[in-house]
Amino acid sequence: MITAGVDIGSITAKAAVLKEGEVLAVSVGFTGYNAAQAGMKVLAEALAEAGVAMEGVDAVAATGYGRRSLPVAGTIVTEITCHAAGVHLLHPRIRTLVDIGGQDSKAILMGDDGKVKNFVMNDKCAAGTGRFLEVMARALEVDLDSFGELSQRAERAARISNLCTVFAESEVISLIAAGEERENIIAGIHEAIGSRVFAMINRLGYKEPIMMTGGVAKNKGVVAALERQLGCPIEISPYAQCMGAIGAAVVAREK
Amino acid sequence: MNARTDEKERKKIKAVKKMKEIMTFYYIDAKTASETGKKVAWITSGGPVEPLIAMDVIPVYPENHGAMIGAAKMGVELCEKAEAMGYSGDLCSYARSDIACATVNGGPIGGLPRPDMLVCCNNICGTVLKWYEIQARYFNCPLFILDTPFCHTSFSAEAKRYVRRQIDEYITFLEDVCKKPFDRDRMAEVGRLSIEGQRLWQAVLDTTINRPAPMTAFDAFFHLALIVTLRGTQQAVDYYRLLLDEMNERVREGVGAVDEEKYRLLWDNLPIWYRTKWLSDKFAAHGACLVADTYTSAWCSSLKYMNEDDFLESMAEGYTRIYLNIGVDEMARTVIAMIDKYGADGLVMHSNRSCKPYSLGQYDIRSIVERERGVPTLIIEADMCDERNFAEAQIEGRIDAFMEMMAAKGSA
Amino acid sequence: MKFDRLKEIVEDPWGTLGEMKERGKKVVGYACSYVPEELIIAAGAHPARLTGTREGIRLADGHLQSYCCSLVRGILEDGLSGRGAVLDGVVFPHTCDSIQRLSDIWRLNVKGGFHLDLVLPVKLDTDSARDYLVDVLKRFLSDLERALGVEVSEADLRASCLLTNEIRRLLHELYMIRWRRPELLAGADLHLLNRAVGIADRNLIVETLREAVADLGADGARETTKGNKNILLAGGMCSTPDIFNLVAEAGGRVVWDDFCNGGRMFLEPLRLDGDPIAAVADRFLSRVVCPCKHRGLTDRANHLKALATERGAGAVVFVHLKYCDPHAFDFPYLKAELEKTGIPSLLLEVEDPLPPGAQIRTRLEAFLEMLD
Repeated sequence: MITAGVDIGSITAKAAVLKEGEVLAVSVGFTGYNAAQAGMKVLAEALAEAGVAMEGVDAVAATGYGRRSLPVAGTIVTEITCHAAGVHLLHPRIRTLVDIGGQDSKAILMGDDGKVKNFVMNDKCAAGTGRFLEVMARALEVDLDSFGELSQRAERAARISNLCTVFAESEVISLIAAGEERENIIAGIHEAIGSRVFAMINRLGYKEPIMMTGGVAKNKGVVAALERQLGCPIEISPYAQCMGAIGAAVVAREK
Repeated sequence: MNARTDEKERKKIKAVKKMKEIMTFYYIDAKTASETGKKVAWITSGGPVEPLIAMDVIPVYPENHGAMIGAAKMGVELCEKAEAMGYSGDLCSYARSDIACATVNGGPIGGLPRPDMLVCCNNICGTVLKWYEIQARYFNCPLFILDTPFCHTSFSAEAKRYVRRQIDEYITFLEDVCKKPFDRDRMAEVGRLSIEGQRLWQAVLDTTINRPAPMTAFDAFFHLALIVTLRGTQQAVDYYRLLLDEMNERVREGVGAVDEEKYRLLWDNLPIWYRTKWLSDKFAAHGACLVADTYTSAWCSSLKYMNEDDFLESMAEGYTRIYLNIGVDEMARTVIAMIDKYGADGLVMHSNRSCKPYSLGQYDIRSIVERERGVPTLIIEADMCDERNFAEAQIEGRIDAFMEMMAAKGSA
Repeated sequence: MKFDRLKEIVEDPWGTLGEMKERGKKVVGYACSYVPEELIIAAGAHPARLTGTREGIRLADGHLQSYCCSLVRGILEDGLSGRGAVLDGVVFPHTCDSIQRLSDIWRLNVKGGFHLDLVLPVKLDTDSARDYLVDVLKRFLSDLERALGVEVSEADLRASCLLTNEIRRLLHELYMIRWRRPELLAGADLHLLNRAVGIADRNLIVETLREAVADLGADGARETTKGNKNILLAGGMCSTPDIFNLVAEAGGRVVWDDFCNGGRMFLEPLRLDGDPIAAVADRFLSRVVCPCKHRGLTDRANHLKALATERGAGAVVFVHLKYCDPHAFDFPYLKAELEKTGIPSLLLEVEDPLPPGAQIRTRLEAFLEMLD
């Protein structure tokens, strides 16, 4: 049985093609203005890579903010359920999943069967999401991709205490003005986001082992900061960005 | 010793040492209550403590504890713990800190002693009702609620009857929990000491009418502890007499709390406990002295309703008509009276996310004060205990701009 | 369906109240479910529950900080913008700290009309509190008489008690019909009805409810069985968003609610013998409390657990206004108590209007998927 999952997020769309629980292909593209088009495009790319024709797909499930827009979706399901399903397929030991995306972050507690036992999401404020990092990168005039590496050269983490992204940005600006090393500020930013996310996970009541997915999982600094707070290691999946799409393909098979 | 350190030494309030000593013994006493066989009551800051003292019960104040947690900069950690327990981050940071602290015995003094009873008076807010319900469930101990109807424009005869009846219910409650009769003679004595303590505290605060002021509101925030925790005891009376003597001495010698006092400001709302030093230095650097505040004076705000010869009768009115349990317009009148009394040139309002009854209405008080007295207002957005709501850069900018404006006004 | 007229009323509450006023009816606004409508109706006036504007806030922000809830902010905006000028007077009961300060700010800034504070007791479980409650209700009635220039007889009070009891009876009946046969009435209609009950002419409400109950029939053969996706809603005001509909769209079924202008509204009929004022007081004392009031330490938890069991709810969705302290304080305890009886719950923190973005839908859907 061949199934496909499409995860249409606010910034990127992702697709995955599965055959009997094995990932044949994944694909990522920007969402842009037209969510349906973006979803269909990544789906077509993934199918091409997998060498499967659209007609050969037994079931398609859509997830993410644009989940209702995909015309070929037989099943529509939230990214919470999908992330859990994807992680359970590829990393069945994992019990807590932390997903930090562009404007959402969430933590999911999973049972032995891979089902969602409980979940929490960030409130409407951007602290603790990828957006927080983007704002800070702009204030520091540093490429976001180099954040992780730069923070590892920090002597110590500068202190950033504000919850509000706007106020935290001005804290960063005053640290720059005070001559604080850029590396230390970045490390401080990672500590700040780490403690926001930690507070959220704490609300959930987490269980080890823990895995992190989403774009921010690529940032070593944030992962290290969160590991320190949790006092345990965090695993990163090679499919971090596409976990929602893979999970959707799993859910498509179940339905 | 150079002149500068000499001057600094001269400015130090000597009574501080005594105060720290008293508070240390007080907490040791409270924390060892289970060994000494004394009962412990947790009580709200505006609550009727005198009957507890008369019954030899040790009163413990979660709000005072909250202030200590804030001053020790341990608020964020405990608030986060409460949030992990499911409490919204928008709730009062004293309540969050205390609720979390009770479960881990954390904070600067390793938690408060376990209560034998809880006494909640809602004259300061509705938050304490919810907070004490939570603690009553957690500790599984009896809770007495003194319900003091809000006085928007008046204190009605019905309300007076209701509160008066509750005082009797309170006494019955104490007799039940303590398993001993209430001693009315002792109560009368405690009542007299309470009123004397309040008068002395008011007298201490009033020494700042002098120019330069011998102390600031930041000092008052510290010395407040006894009128809250040990009101009704000889100890509090003795201490405030000592402090009053010292302040009068400073007045005679012309010792000001702030070098070259140029501006006199009035503080509104609770202190920002984790930043009192920073704020104190910040204002002092501009030659601004916070000569008075609406917060520490609240513990003697209803003296006018109290009768020392009949404490129990008058406490119904005294406890109901305190500063926070009144309408915004009456609060504004109080602020104006304080501006006049202490000769304040400006008003500094702490818009405190943790305290809605104190903060909602501040914008109207500001307008009334500006209209009636032409006195400018600085608003600082922060929180008394949760440092995550303190934006230093913004606040520093606002203070500087406000002081520049005061300077321009003064030279005009 | 049958609620087209109510829809118009809910969409234009101020227009509706203006029309009543033109017809010579006095209109009295009030801010919370602890204001006894019976007394206002007996005084010949129309009681209108204030639920706050849904239009842009322009003026209220000059009086309220950012950490005040959208309900209080919206009510003040209605007053300051002049929309509330149609009111002959307003009544603010003692409930939460924010409504308390709203009363002061309204009194100082909104001109025209009388202003009454109904300083109710917070404790509702002692004899002295009951006596005080009766006292303040009597004073409230005499204040109303003076403000409206009327004299209220015992017969007026009895008539208004009968009317509000009839509304309660019919609402309860409709809830029961919907509980047995959910397909008969959409959640959105119930939501509409609950909003309208505080605004529309109460006789129109009775008429509409009677028709609806007759139309939908008393076919009560089928009992709803416990279902995973049967949802009990809990919280304060269900003004907006239409959470009934959001749950339905996410694949769940609201079987009952414990909102103060929903399921809690019709709890406990008024006793019709004896002193009507005492009967109104006793109803407040015997009904499950709002978290601003105190009636023992377990009152709300007991009520919610019993309600969930009785209505066969598989889960509870709490809907709280952001910055609503009393509800937020109760939440961890209620959640834990429900969990002990095997009932999972979800908390949705909302504002009126809802912020853009579909996160609330995602949360609801994911929660329902979890219940599978």
